[in-house]
Amino acid sequence: MPDVLQEFPMEMGFALFEYCGDGNFLPIAQLPDWFSEIWAGAGNASGPIPLSQQSPFLENFLLEAEEFWNSHASAACQSETWIEKSVSGREIPVQAKALFLGGKRILVLFSPDSQFREQVRILQTARNALLDHERLAREIQKKEILLHCIVHDLSQPLSVMHVAMDSLSQESISERSKQFLTLGKHASDQQETMIRQILQAFSDDLRASLDAGTEGNSSSDLLECARKSMISLGLTFDAKGVRVAVSPSVDLKAKWPVVAEDSRLQRIFSNLLENALRYTPAGRRVTIGVEDEGDFLKAYVDDEGPGLPQDLRPEQIFGLFMKGKQGGGKAGLGLYFCRITVERWGGSIGCVTLPVKGSRFWFRLPRSADNMATHAPNARDASDLTGTKRKPIPIRPLRILLADDQEDIRTLTAYQLKRSGHKVVVARDGIHALKAFHSASFDVALLDQEMPGMTGDEVARAIRTAEQGKKKRVFLVASTGNTTSEDAGRLKQAGFDEVLGKPFRLEDLNLILSYFPGAEPAVKTPAPPSPQEGATLAELTARVGGDEKLLKRMIHTFLRDIPKRVTGIASVIRRKDPEALASLAHALKGSVSIFGAETARKRCQELQELGRSGELSAAVEIFGALKEEIAKLQANLRGYANQTPARLKSSHAKRQGPPRNRGKRRR
Amino acid sequence: MLQKKVCMLGSFAVGKTSLVRQFVESIYSDVYQTTVGVKIDKKNVNVGEKETTLVLWDIYGEDDYQKMRWTYLRGASGYLLVADGTRKATLEKAVSLEERVRKEVGAIPFVLVINKSDLIRDWELDPALESQLAAQGWSILHASAKTGEGVEESFSLLTRKMLG
Repeated sequence: MPDVLQEFPMEMGFALFEYCGDGNFLPIAQLPDWFSEIWAGAGNASGPIPLSQQSPFLENFLLEAEEFWNSHASAACQSETWIEKSVSGREIPVQAKALFLGGKRILVLFSPDSQFREQVRILQTARNALLDHERLAREIQKKEILLHCIVHDLSQPLSVMHVAMDSLSQESISERSKQFLTLGKHASDQQETMIRQILQAFSDDLRASLDAGTEGNSSSDLLECARKSMISLGLTFDAKGVRVAVSPSVDLKAKWPVVAEDSRLQRIFSNLLENALRYTPAGRRVTIGVEDEGDFLKAYVDDEGPGLPQDLRPEQIFGLFMKGKQGGGKAGLGLYFCRITVERWGGSIGCVTLPVKGSRFWFRLPRSADNMATHAPNARDASDLTGTKRKPIPIRPLRILLADDQEDIRTLTAYQLKRSGHKVVVARDGIHALKAFHSASFDVALLDQEMPGMTGDEVARAIRTAEQGKKKRVFLVASTGNTTSEDAGRLKQAGFDEVLGKPFRLEDLNLILSYFPGAEPAVKTPAPPSPQEGATLAELTARVGGDEKLLKRMIHTFLRDIPKRVTGIASVIRRKDPEALASLAHALKGSVSIFGAETARKRCQELQELGRSGELSAAVEIFGALKEEIAKLQANLRGYANQTPARLKSSHAKRQGPPRNRGKRRR
Repeated sequence: MLQKKVCMLGSFAVGKTSLVRQFVESIYSDVYQTTVGVKIDKKNVNVGEKETTLVLWDIYGEDDYQKMRWTYLRGASGYLLVADGTRKATLEKAVSLEERVRKEVGAIPFVLVINKSDLIRDWELDPALESQLAAQGWSILHASAKTGEGVEESFSLLTRKMLG
């Protein structure tokens, strides 16, 4: 076999065999050391070796090899690497190759040691990188979920608070009650600002934000936070007829300081209480308790529900997107939030089925050395206490489809809309919203984004599809906590006309409704122009040389374009784009000046200056004031646009006395 | 003694090698060492008074870099399909591997082992998919190569299925 030995020299460690048939192989030359290390008995044999009996892998490969030899194919048949163990336990990589040489069926075995190690090194690096990438993707997802928790879950109750207080402010209440109401409004404004700040912190750097909570040696009082959460959910518990109380065994006078941060600790209690409420039947009780465990303090929430689901382990219940089969939470995020937050603070969390009935959700946190709980700073200055009275914008009664799976938001918003004279049909989810859309005619559909069954996006797309080929087009408003420019783009693509950011106030809702193209009040609606909210109609007419048609066209154009222009300014403020802000504010300043809206002009001027300076910290506040002025101006201009000359004459005479340009107008 | 060839199939880094090592040698290492090529181990098991030798083919996890050779399944009596509970995509991979095995070698006994039950709080599997697979007749066990939980049971269940 000289040619075989030339091809596969012995010094390279090849083990060469000629196939003799029946699974037997005759060594062509002396077998290398590695072969004897693996198959000691076979390596010392002088005659043919039944190789297929030596190794299951070889047995498998030799079937392929035999097929190859029988086929007389020209190319060789080669195995992948497999690992054999030596007698001493060393792992030795081996490869096999079947070929023809000199008309003989030859099997070559070799150990690609260095080549194999390099291959392992490369694949290990590549797969580690893939795993790192997956881990990173999961971290990003976790961050997004936290953002979602804050935007969605925390914003929902605020919407209810805003609308509830707006509703109250329209009732006949005593001066003292009004003071309380002002305090309440201020507190809800503060909370909104705090949420936005937290959101900002999370979006800037989640980890840094979370770590800041512990690095700053932040301390909270466990019982105090539990009580606050109980109070905030008191009405919800009342509504379901479930009692909630602190366990009588708890020392109410003691301090319960833990390493935590107030707002997030309250959020944990709220999530656990809401979870308990979901599973507790009416007439039963939910109990909160705290216990001293030395270096740790433990809190628990006991319910009198059916106990933990048998198909889930307690650890799974705190997993991502975990929802109970009955009455589960909205997105399966609440308990997940609890776990990651408690663990960040160095604590632990769990749950058990109670011996008699119900379940206990508990968590323990490290005891804080600081006995004084620190509280989250007030996000707004005291100067913001003075709330500007906002006036609803007069719009004609509309037929509105309202879809939101949050009952409290649905009820309050519907109440407000009906009170404003609109006809409202409510739907508790996306599927019912779509059914309602097909069964009646609507001017406006106000759709929550996150509803079970069908999301707001899906409903919007279905509505737009159904409208194809029809003249009538419903005005679609998305109600959402996600109001970034990307979200706005996505919502627009889904077919929405406007976005109502949550939490929203009554005037936000009215302002959005006023954007509806047919929302202008009927001719009968009394026009409310006042000198300080813009020029009078007579003055405006005079400015355009008495050309009422031209004035109407200008008003129409202004009213048509203003929503986009306001949205544009909101967008550049969100994007923190000072140059664009200066430019847009400058352009709007010119428009509002035409209509004599002096306050609006000043606000535009201020925004323009902020844009030029690059310092946008006050932009949100000024923009809020500008929007109010714009709303007043819009209301006035709509009133003007609908006034007949006769009506104009009488209203003008009443409000302004003799017009300065009466003669010109008569001409 | 009866011998049964068992293949370990699944995506990369799901813990196939670790499950075999835990089962055969009761050893576990936290360090991920990728498998390149094929490793074969043997272990005797007693199921229903029958002593059986399991010949365990620990085949590298399929990914973009290495594709499975279906000839390795030749003569296999069954296979352990392994997924990592903390990586959703590995269960999807397991589902597609099962389809391919059925296509290439026919319906042979298998058990789906969802590994890393010690990290169950970080699991991201959709329980609905798991229930759906169970409803289709899949045998599914949760296991941890790290703690040994469910490992013996997984191989025993597969052996019982292979022995009919």
